[in-house]
Amino acid sequence: MAAPAQTPILLLADIDEPGLATREVYERRGGYESLRRALAMTPEQVLAELEASGLRGRGGAGFAMGKKVSFLPKGSIEKYLVCNADESEPGTFKDRELMQKTPHTLIEGIVIASYAAGAARSFIYIRGEYVLQADVLDAALVEARQAGYIGENILGSGHTLSLVVHRGAGAYICGEETGLLDSLEGKRGNPRLKPPFPANQGLYQGPTLINNVETLATAPTIIRMGGAEYAKLGTETSTGTKVVSVSGHVQRPGNYEVELGIPSREIIYGLAGGPREGRAIKCWFPGGSSSPVLTAEDLDIPYDFDSLGKAGSMLGSGAIIVVDDTTPILDVAMKTAKFYRHESCGKCTPCREGTNWTVKMLERIDAGEATPMDLEIMASVQEHIIGNCLCVLGDAMAMPIGSMIAKFREEFEAHIERARMLRGVSDVAGSDFALAAQGALQEHPDGRLAPIGAGEQAPGEHRGEPGTQKGGA
Amino acid sequence: MPRPQPNMITFSVDGREVRAPENMMLADAAKLGDVEIPVFCYEPKLGNPVGACRMCLVEVEGIPKLQTGCSTPVKDGMVVYTQTERVKIAQQSVVEFLLINHPLDCPVCDKGGECPLQDITFGWGNGISRFIEPKRHFVKPLELSPLIAIDRERCILCYRCVRFSQEISEDYQLVLLERGAHSYVATFDGHPYVAPFSGNIVELCPVGALTSRPYRFRARPWDIEGAGSVCTLCPAQCNVTLTVRDERALRVLARDHHEVDDGWLCDKGRFGYESFHVEERVTEPLLRDGGQLRPVSWERALGEAAAGLSRAGSRSAALAGGQATNEEALLLARMMREALGSPHVDSRRGGTLPLELHRALGAPALQARTSDLEFAHAVLVIAADPVNDAPILDLRLRKGIRRHGMSLAVAMPGDTSLDAGAAITARFAPGQAGAFAAALAAALRDGDGDGDGDGDGEDELRELVGLAGAEIGVVRELASLLRGPDREDDRDAAREVVILFGERLTSGPDGAAGATALLQIAQRLGLEGIEGAGLLEIPAQSNGRGLREAGFLPNGGAGLSEPPAGEGKDARAIAEALAAGELQALYLLQSEPLQDLPDAQLWERALAGAGTVVAHANFLTDALREHADVVFPAEVYAEKEGTIVHPDGRIQRLRPAIARGSGVGGAGGAPSSASEVRAGWQVICELALRLGLDLDVLGATMASRRLFEAVPFYEGLTLEEVGGRGVRWQERDAAARFPPGASVPEQAPALTAREQQPDPRELAGFRSVWDAPEVLHSPALSFLYPRRELVSG
Amino acid sequence: MTPRGWDTPADLEKDPATIPDPSEVEVPAALREEIEQHMSHYPDRRSATLPALAAAQRLHGWCSPEAIEQVASVMRLTPAYLESVASFYDMLETSPRGRHSIYVCTNISCSLCGADELYAAFAARAGEGVGEEPLNVRSFECLGACDIAPMASVDGVYIGPLTTEDVPRVLEDLRAGRDVLPEKQLARRLVADPHANSREFPEHPVHRLTLPFDPEVPPERAAFGPPMGALEEDAADPPAAIEPQPEHHEEDAS
Repeated sequence: MAAPAQTPILLLADIDEPGLATREVYERRGGYESLRRALAMTPEQVLAELEASGLRGRGGAGFAMGKKVSFLPKGSIEKYLVCNADESEPGTFKDRELMQKTPHTLIEGIVIASYAAGAARSFIYIRGEYVLQADVLDAALVEARQAGYIGENILGSGHTLSLVVHRGAGAYICGEETGLLDSLEGKRGNPRLKPPFPANQGLYQGPTLINNVETLATAPTIIRMGGAEYAKLGTETSTGTKVVSVSGHVQRPGNYEVELGIPSREIIYGLAGGPREGRAIKCWFPGGSSSPVLTAEDLDIPYDFDSLGKAGSMLGSGAIIVVDDTTPILDVAMKTAKFYRHESCGKCTPCREGTNWTVKMLERIDAGEATPMDLEIMASVQEHIIGNCLCVLGDAMAMPIGSMIAKFREEFEAHIERARMLRGVSDVAGSDFALAAQGALQEHPDGRLAPIGAGEQAPGEHRGEPGTQKGGA
Repeated sequence: MPRPQPNMITFSVDGREVRAPENMMLADAAKLGDVEIPVFCYEPKLGNPVGACRMCLVEVEGIPKLQTGCSTPVKDGMVVYTQTERVKIAQQSVVEFLLINHPLDCPVCDKGGECPLQDITFGWGNGISRFIEPKRHFVKPLELSPLIAIDRERCILCYRCVRFSQEISEDYQLVLLERGAHSYVATFDGHPYVAPFSGNIVELCPVGALTSRPYRFRARPWDIEGAGSVCTLCPAQCNVTLTVRDERALRVLARDHHEVDDGWLCDKGRFGYESFHVEERVTEPLLRDGGQLRPVSWERALGEAAAGLSRAGSRSAALAGGQATNEEALLLARMMREALGSPHVDSRRGGTLPLELHRALGAPALQARTSDLEFAHAVLVIAADPVNDAPILDLRLRKGIRRHGMSLAVAMPGDTSLDAGAAITARFAPGQAGAFAAALAAALRDGDGDGDGDGDGEDELRELVGLAGAEIGVVRELASLLRGPDREDDRDAAREVVILFGERLTSGPDGAAGATALLQIAQRLGLEGIEGAGLLEIPAQSNGRGLREAGFLPNGGAGLSEPPAGEGKDARAIAEALAAGELQALYLLQSEPLQDLPDAQLWERALAGAGTVVAHANFLTDALREHADVVFPAEVYAEKEGTIVHPDGRIQRLRPAIARGSGVGGAGGAPSSASEVRAGWQVICELALRLGLDLDVLGATMASRRLFEAVPFYEGLTLEEVGGRGVRWQERDAAARFPPGASVPEQAPALTAREQQPDPRELAGFRSVWDAPEVLHSPALSFLYPRRELVSG
Repeated sequence: MTPRGWDTPADLEKDPATIPDPSEVEVPAALREEIEQHMSHYPDRRSATLPALAAAQRLHGWCSPEAIEQVASVMRLTPAYLESVASFYDMLETSPRGRHSIYVCTNISCSLCGADELYAAFAARAGEGVGEEPLNVRSFECLGACDIAPMASVDGVYIGPLTTEDVPRVLEDLRAGRDVLPEKQLARRLVADPHANSREFPEHPVHRLTLPFDPEVPPERAAFGPPMGALEEDAADPPAAIEPQPEHHEEDAS
């Protein structure tokens, strides 16, 4: 195993220990000790620890958690804490593992954060598809309430907190914090205009703290270690450890806890085993499908917020999707675009129409009805989406698609040309390029297009089957 | 909540320094500097901006991302650019995105020529389209309701219509279904969108997706002209613009007036114009001949009317209906009093109210404005059901609750559409509004309202609550809501309370008691003189307030003066006297007593007993067909010239929009040559002349001048001053000449015992505004007529 | 795809759809009780919209007009409001569907591992149905289980990685009312990170939950799958609140 042995495991430590989801086992392992310690402190002291930890949000935006808490107005007005458990970013499944296996860590984190924020009501908004995880949380919640960790005057501290596990019903956009709030209020999950920010006017118009599952689940660790100690992990601006979900064309997909700042290569190759024997990485999404793609050349970039940002992408939710060289970039673009079209709430124009238009253009490319000029239009449409939408969903399509066009322009152009050949409308019939394309086509009597240079494809077992899939959704 | 006081700041837009109220949205503030920021979804009337269409992106110095002008509050020193390359590209791209699925069927679209999408595409679009995929196509147009057609291809999903349904009218019937590019506007399971204010969505739609079915394909924007007037189909008197083509009203649009209608119209006001041009309308003078009403010349009709009235002399009486103008009322009252010597004129429906109580209730210091309903801390709606009495006020109250945290209390015998949003809903027995008001007044006297009972006060309160058939707890709760939580601690805080009451409260045997109790409530809450607080009456008739102020009361002359010919009989007494043969002639100025007044049976006998019935009418009803001897065709409001008075004292001007009686029954819209409708003031003057009285009025403006001379507190008013937006007479110096009213007694008013009350069903004579000939006779609206009960909830 | 309703006019014979008169809508008592309980959890009753619609869908199979009217009547909301919400969310069905659902994830990661073929294989057999009802096979966006790609959620139970050869077994299990493909259920899997567990742990047994009684929060049933009753554990499974028995690791408690 190439992974560094010194990687501290905080969140996933012995996560498969039988019974960890029960209070009994959790407490035996020291669970809820952090809560006791926090409640013995003042809320300001707890907040100071959270701020000192430098913990950045693990949901996607990477905003400093302590700062977020500090934005809530002080005073006696009713405040809310909402845990964003609507984990829907393609490639992300870390919160699922945490909630399912150690629900009490999340509950403990929620109580600690609510104490720091002065919130008396809290909600876990969990995506409706996570049936098992919601059931586990509900069961753990009953236990926590029976033990007095949730309810009135928690452990005699005077702090009161109610907690409701609220199940969503299938909408990616509800992972966007204001869409989530509308959904939690029983409406369509349309994002709201910001400002006002949830810290001032969130749930039921009240000040609201919204944090991701992993973020809140880290709070007990921070209280246990002390914020300053926690901040020593990771890099200066990306402190701590992070659970990274790795999936796609890797040999060992799954969740890995890493110290932020380790080379990306160590995660993809060292932990997840890299692509199948004999395959190379074509591109990878470092932070879910909303992050601009990187290529094999970028594997040595440290896996942290700032380094990935500097490389033109982002850490996002910490979900690495690896695509190997057997998959046409058009397929990746198509899946990505179709996903965002499907999930666009429809409220703002550039996102609603831009995602729709992008899919139509990609379909046209695939059908051999496009010209290289369409690539320009597609690139310009992405530019017109970025920064002009109500929320980040439009950008979440436009940035990866834009990055694919920028980084794989030649392959797109080749695809356009070959698809036109197939339709018999190419202007360059007879050219070297067209002949090469013709050759590629002959290798696939079923008429599907494979990426140039993909070469022979071994009829391997399905896990490693090169993805030449089309459409489907 | 008291109104916010704007703080003026200076900001810069495209290099111009502009003064604007702080926190005004950029899209509005830029206009003050003559800079237009294009918008689709933004409509301030709909409440907080949603920032959905992204059309209004602009650059604000210091903020890296482009900002939506609709949602960026302007601050002092802000520097805004709307013309930079970045902004231009962003705006062009939004136009391009919007046009992706918009069919370019402008040549056959009703909106073409007055379409924001067309205008903005022209002004801010790129001029070319790069979208070559097929556009979506759907069946169109489809019925959304009997009044509205929907064309889903044209929809740009701006959310305006659904926001209206959900946040303004709060009927939650019109929604978006599905999500993303598949979203579409619809109702539940194919039900029609039928609601009192549904027509507003047509006007809100920035494209041709929602169109008025009665207006579809009737005209193009270059065929029409707009004419401003005031709708007199209910007491709310909304400001309207009539769309006129060839002297025919084809459409009614809102002419936004924050102090009157807040920019909305009800469906009756919006579609009732169709009744102007239907065959059922009376367009020529009629005379009873051989038991039948037959058309005759004006000469003959006037002569016969004069003869009949002259025969009856002082044994004549007159009633004025809500659509009559102040001028008509003034002139007719003078004719009755001076030419015929009859004091028997009435415009109220519920009996005489002592003149000093009229004066006390109308005291300028005690009058609330319409907009106060929205900004008050609390509003009590008592003996009124806004959606049925003055629909547009229903929206205003909802707005107050939703946007300004106003607390609403509703006191009515039955359920109302406002109950859901009310902090308190109080109920009392039918007909016991006066007793309820007296109980509330007693509860307010009960000191701190803690319910500990102050000896006699407690007994009195219990007795009154029992008489009213109300609950004592609710009355106390209501008292403390109105008094406000901090009254004891903070006596200086002026709590703005508005009491919106229906004429029912001052009607019937307990009318005077109701009025007195109301004055006590106002006094005990200290409403007099508090800016933003006061009383607001919804009269039973559209121009009820104006008719009274013009002197059309049995016990009051012009300007609520002592009646010049002595006190006359009220409507009910007139009916009894006619039935008994004590009175002989009756003049009906746009009044149909069987429809407008209680006790239809009595009126049937009264009309049968009258020797002469002269009716100035728009439509014939069974009663008029049977009993009228002479019928003069009356003008509809779109034809009238004159003034009316809004319930809050705003004098508003009617201006003729179409030629009198034009296009009636004619399909082509050409003025009908048969039309012989004459101006109301003119008919009355000619009749008076035949009765020997020269009213000295030669034109409509002269009639208005006579009015302004006759009413002391209108003194010095001119039509120019009234203008297009009206003027509240209370806000002019002449308001000081308003006559002083009754002093408010300390003890509770005497009330009629419950057993002696008339049958409450008689009060059903208060009709919903939806139960009206304009609804019945407008082809598009007539579907509502059988549902008028449904609308009234 | 043309959404239902694009091309349909309003039926002008119908009355407007306002908040239903409670006396005119018959609501099954259990549904009413469940919705009212949900409403009691929130400061604003409207927050219970999603759980209430989910409950109605469990009862009716989909959010039919009848189901929506029942929810509207209990929640005092207009049916249009509820329909608008229901049509926004993928898991709420606004057209008739079978009660049993198979969501096949066809998002990127699963697709890279063959999910489109898997979906096609399920879809080809959807017509066979389960019992009297059709089978609701849907291609779904990322279900958050890319580690078991390609995968599917069968009545809310995650299984994977699947091959097309698993399709017949899944359908058989579903028809027989058995636990679906227990050996491939996500619930059993250990975390992938080799450093996470300091020692060997057994694979998790496939477990069901029986919640300890708590009067404050009613045991919430699986939101969209069949009711928990249908998932009641068989006798072999442990009776504890949540699996498994603690004796395995007592020695580690410190």
